[in-house]
Amino acid sequence: MKATRAVREVFGFFGGLAWKTGKTRVFALLGLIPVALAVVVRIVLRGRTGDMVAVFTEILMVFFLQFYIVILTLFYGTSITAEETENRTLAYLTTRPVPKPAIILGKYAAYGLLMFAMVAASLIPSYFLLNAGRLGQPEVIKAFFVDLGVLGLGILAYSAFFTFLGTFLKRAIILGLIFGFGWENVIQYFPGSTQRFSVVHYLKSLLPYRPVTGGGGRGVALLLFRLEPTPPLLAVLALTAIAAVFLALACGLFRIKEYLYED
Amino acid sequence: MSAVISASHLSKWYGNVLGLNDVSLEIEAGITGLLGPNGAGKSTFMKLVTGQMKPNIGFVTVRGRKAWNNPGIFQGIGFCPENDVFYEDMTGGEFVAGLLRFYGYARTEIRDRTARALDLVGLTADQDRLIRGYSRGMRQRIKFAQAVAHDPEIVILDEPLSGLDPLGKRKLIRLIKDFKSQGRTVLVSSHVLPEIEALTSQVVLIHQGKVLAQGDIPYIRDLIESHPHQISVRSGDPRALAARFVGDKSIQKMTFAADGRTLVVETHNRDAFFGRLTGVLLEAGLAVDEISSPDDNLQAVFEYLVGK
Repeated sequence: MKATRAVREVFGFFGGLAWKTGKTRVFALLGLIPVALAVVVRIVLRGRTGDMVAVFTEILMVFFLQFYIVILTLFYGTSITAEETENRTLAYLTTRPVPKPAIILGKYAAYGLLMFAMVAASLIPSYFLLNAGRLGQPEVIKAFFVDLGVLGLGILAYSAFFTFLGTFLKRAIILGLIFGFGWENVIQYFPGSTQRFSVVHYLKSLLPYRPVTGGGGRGVALLLFRLEPTPPLLAVLALTAIAAVFLALACGLFRIKEYLYED
Repeated sequence: MSAVISASHLSKWYGNVLGLNDVSLEIEAGITGLLGPNGAGKSTFMKLVTGQMKPNIGFVTVRGRKAWNNPGIFQGIGFCPENDVFYEDMTGGEFVAGLLRFYGYARTEIRDRTARALDLVGLTADQDRLIRGYSRGMRQRIKFAQAVAHDPEIVILDEPLSGLDPLGKRKLIRLIKDFKSQGRTVLVSSHVLPEIEALTSQVVLIHQGKVLAQGDIPYIRDLIESHPHQISVRSGDPRALAARFVGDKSIQKMTFAADGRTLVVETHNRDAFFGRLTGVLLEAGLAVDEISSPDDNLQAVFEYLVGK
């Protein structure tokens, strides 16, 4: 079977399966948090748009950018290989006439689409609830698509990295947590070129910078702070390169590595 | 006849543990039983044949093609793993159909092949149930169905009969034998001699990663029967039972266990002893509480064969 066809078939197999798992239900529930917050803000701040809406939109972006997509990609990315070895189902896949890299790429695509759908299902209602009064303004709609696109790129880049980590290590979750919530959260605030060693730096570089002015937003000012943003085109290229390099590494490693069960 | 599966000086180790040690084998068309106690190296051999693992030394070929990292060979191989593992959130039908996607079939063909495979294992009525709700026997059968749904020329079955009830075993044995009659190659592993015996006369004895013997069942039987078996019979009057067996030529030694109720018999001919025992018990009107054969297992036989 040709590699592209094999990727498509693996995508089809896991595309259907991924939606049914308990893990997906839990993460979908987690995605309701910003929707619930948006509802609360709408009720509490009824009639007050402007700064507070912008600030809260930024808080949502902090949730999505620095928590939701990181946790989603960490669990789905590392599981691309790990769940097959831990559940010992790998033999069902590797004894088929499909190239091993197709298994990685097909699952990556299936899980990537699933994560994007979960993020979109969470972002769309929360965003439009908060901007209900300004939906006629083109920049609000444009900002929504920029936000969604940035989150999509984040999913691609983080997933590829965590896929590689899960293919390389037996217990990748711990290291993934340290990377996602330690390294990423610290390195991005380092001045100079050090910040460029984080994925989130490039994601933030793509977001329109909306300085926090309202009182309620001061608490998140640090999280939104951008030191020296990379130009947008370079940021997109960097994120694409991160995704491509780590996916290629994961595919190469999966092809040559033996996966032995604990016993 | 040319070998379908060929292993040459195959060795595989896991860290310091030797999984397979210098195994050279030629497996021809028909059913070949891989017989050995748990941990003997049967699954390791099968994983090497199916390219799931890379040999440390030697090589294995399937129809002359190397198995490791060669997905092309799997168009003609069906593999049924030993572990009771599945994509539990799938239905039986989805599982078989989903895995058939990897062979490049059109949708209609996938549907037809799925229906045929499920019908073959008697799971048509349960195809829409989640696998997590299947009984152990159903799980074994759906595992078999996924291995044969693409009509492979070579079927590799790792302990396919474990967990099946007698009726299920009989059905599966018949299915496997049908494959043989279609000219295919079946490699099947088990640690239970009667299971292998019911399937084939061609057996490979494997123990501690080494092939101890390869031949037909009578040869293996001879090897086994030259090993004295211990059989314990617990009854109310073990001495009366012993008295009936004193002149029996199949018996080498009789002792009484410390509990005073158990007669321990040592025999070279287990089948003859059991054949006679039933009649003796009926004649004497003796009630038996328990019959056990402490070394009536392959482990004991293998230890005997390797000279321990």
